[in-house]
Amino acid sequence: MVDFSLLQSHRFLVTETSLLLEHAGDEALGPMPNPAAAAAAGASLFALNRNRNRNRNRNRNRNRNRNRNRNRNMADGAGPDLSILDPWEERDALHKLRAEWINLPVPLPPTMDQLRQESIDLLEKQVLRGLPEGAMRRDEILIEAQLELSGYLRPFGIETHGGYDATIALMLTILALTEEIGMRYKSRWEVPRPNQVEPRLRPFIPNPAHASYPSNHSFQSFTIAFMFSRLLPEHPGSMMLFRSARRIAQNREWAGVHYASDTQCGYALARMVTPVLERVLEKNMIAAQAEWF
Amino acid sequence: MIQAPKTGLGPTYPPYDCLWHLVTMGVLTPDHRPNDWVPQAANPAPARVAMIDTSVAYDHPNLKGAINKDLALDLFSARLGSFPGLEAAAVLGDLWLGDSSAVVSGLPHSASLLAELTARLSVGRPARYNGIAPATSQVFSSHGTAMAGLIGARPVTIPADQSLTATDLGLLTLPYCGVDPMSEIVPISTNFDSDPEALILAFLYADLIGADVIALPRVIPDPFRTVPELSSFLMDDGAGRSLTEAISHCPISAVERELWDELLELIVRISLRRPIVCAAGNANEEYGVYPANFASDENGIIAVGAVNAKGWNCSYSPTRNLTVWAPSTDAERVDRAEVRQDVRRHDYDSETAPEPNNNERFSYFDLIATDVPGTGGYATSPFPGPNPPPDNPMREFGSYYCRFGGTSGASALVAGFVSLAHNTGRLSRSCGGIEAKAWLLASSVALGADRGTMVMPVFSGTPSFPDQT
Repeated sequence: MVDFSLLQSHRFLVTETSLLLEHAGDEALGPMPNPAAAAAAGASLFALNRNRNRNRNRNRNRNRNRNRNRNRNMADGAGPDLSILDPWEERDALHKLRAEWINLPVPLPPTMDQLRQESIDLLEKQVLRGLPEGAMRRDEILIEAQLELSGYLRPFGIETHGGYDATIALMLTILALTEEIGMRYKSRWEVPRPNQVEPRLRPFIPNPAHASYPSNHSFQSFTIAFMFSRLLPEHPGSMMLFRSARRIAQNREWAGVHYASDTQCGYALARMVTPVLERVLEKNMIAAQAEWF
Repeated sequence: MIQAPKTGLGPTYPPYDCLWHLVTMGVLTPDHRPNDWVPQAANPAPARVAMIDTSVAYDHPNLKGAINKDLALDLFSARLGSFPGLEAAAVLGDLWLGDSSAVVSGLPHSASLLAELTARLSVGRPARYNGIAPATSQVFSSHGTAMAGLIGARPVTIPADQSLTATDLGLLTLPYCGVDPMSEIVPISTNFDSDPEALILAFLYADLIGADVIALPRVIPDPFRTVPELSSFLMDDGAGRSLTEAISHCPISAVERELWDELLELIVRISLRRPIVCAAGNANEEYGVYPANFASDENGIIAVGAVNAKGWNCSYSPTRNLTVWAPSTDAERVDRAEVRQDVRRHDYDSETAPEPNNNERFSYFDLIATDVPGTGGYATSPFPGPNPPPDNPMREFGSYYCRFGGTSGASALVAGFVSLAHNTGRLSRSCGGIEAKAWLLASSVALGADRGTMVMPVFSGTPSFPDQT
């Protein structure tokens, strides 16, 4: 039974800076008599501010980006500094939860015959890739073969915008942790790269020196997308991020270094690993949120 | 009359009642009594609100008793859903599911998904689908927590650190309340990929559990129905492709297109059985975002716009072509249609202020909602949270609430309003979506000839807008 009398004996008042708890004394509602209770309103002072100052928690991300002059570099067109200290704390937290991510129920890899069938699609993409209309694909493939964040930053409009150090550091940390996780799954199955199965395929870029299934580009990109779905679900960029991630993942098929099944497995793994990573990276995510809320 | 603490300067923004929106909608009287309705005693089967949104911070003290943790379903990480409110090793009991076969008739993909879902939800199946954990950390549940509080928060008294309490008893009252504090909320959380399958499953689940009202405070990213729709724009490239497909990051498969089409049909059909309350969007979309823009007399979809504490539309919400408007936080706007600025803002620039303007229509009143306690959420604290008492007495309450807004907030109020009608007998529990919408419109009051076709649901009495500044 709801006790409505509590709403009459007490009331929250919204002031310019805080939520003030009042309660009925002998007369009308008024501030709480206990002087210490004033701290309650004080405690909410910053909590109810309009959070328009994005600089507020930037120093929480200390030591993440070595280059403190990133903004100036970006103004010079050099792009953000993508170096982070090795995320040893986060790796430590990840390894403590090993049982929760080491054997997630992704599908087993396709058979060799299925891979040969998938290769037909890659051969078609190979032809289309070489046409004039494929110029944009080719450019993207070359850019995405490097450590590069534009596909993740552009949906949020922060590609050339300073002040998002924690957001960028979070993306880089996700990339670092998921690279490790993905390698473990790849080594379990040792699926050969497409042109090892179908010699008529001519990869547009060198084959990475590890197995094909799952695609780490897919896994890593979709993990960023899923994590930002937890972090900033209200932001339209979070939906666009999935489309951008899907494009990045499929570009690896266009490059001839991944099968469609690699892409799909990367997506499945990313979706399932998010509950683990949102615990491992809780502090990093809160620091990133502070740049947006 | 509430008096703010006096200071030498006096406040730029005079203080106001945190629950002003409930008074405005005639749910509470100005002194916070139920406005011409009688709270029901404990109801074993209260009205059920299915909320398709993010996860929720269940342990928020004002949400205790509001969330049905046994039914909460997370479709974020596991394709057929995991139950975040149940222990990892738990198995499902009887969920008392209804029959949804009628809504998938003639929809082959949806019928197949319904078969998979009902099998997955049968007695004895694991709470975690394929052992996959739900992605429902309370820390990252801001939007859903705000929504849930606006719909159905309950006022409570809880143990707290004595420095917070007015008495030596160590008890603290949190006088916050949703529109219907007798409601039962079932969070159905999804990720935000443009994945029609997950949304079909979410709506099917809301139907299976017999929700009395479905709250949808979000846009659905259907590439063919995103506003403005582009399908009828054809490329002049010889191939005559539609602009929708030409701009797609990746090819859209025939199956995906069929799934999107089925999702719309499913939403419309389910809305006939139970109203679907949709946020209309925060960018002056003329008929609302998808699927709010499909609201019509022939279905139970309700498109909700926002009205500020002065009774004007919030600047991001149109004054026509939606179903109803409900209170929310206003925003500044400067464009060719309207100039509406907060002239009391400390950095307001009067030198470049456009004339003429509607600055007098701006209201500074915010919609206050429940928030993730502790370090996470829209409002943060140095103390970790959620930290439910008595294990860890609360040390502050500021981070337990936040300023919220948009048509999400307004849609939460309308969903709660319909729930309250069910719980107070004004609306039959067996009514369908069209009947519920008709009741809602009959309970709404026009806001004035100079305010388009705006109408606001009012539970009792006449609407009152508290911002007199």
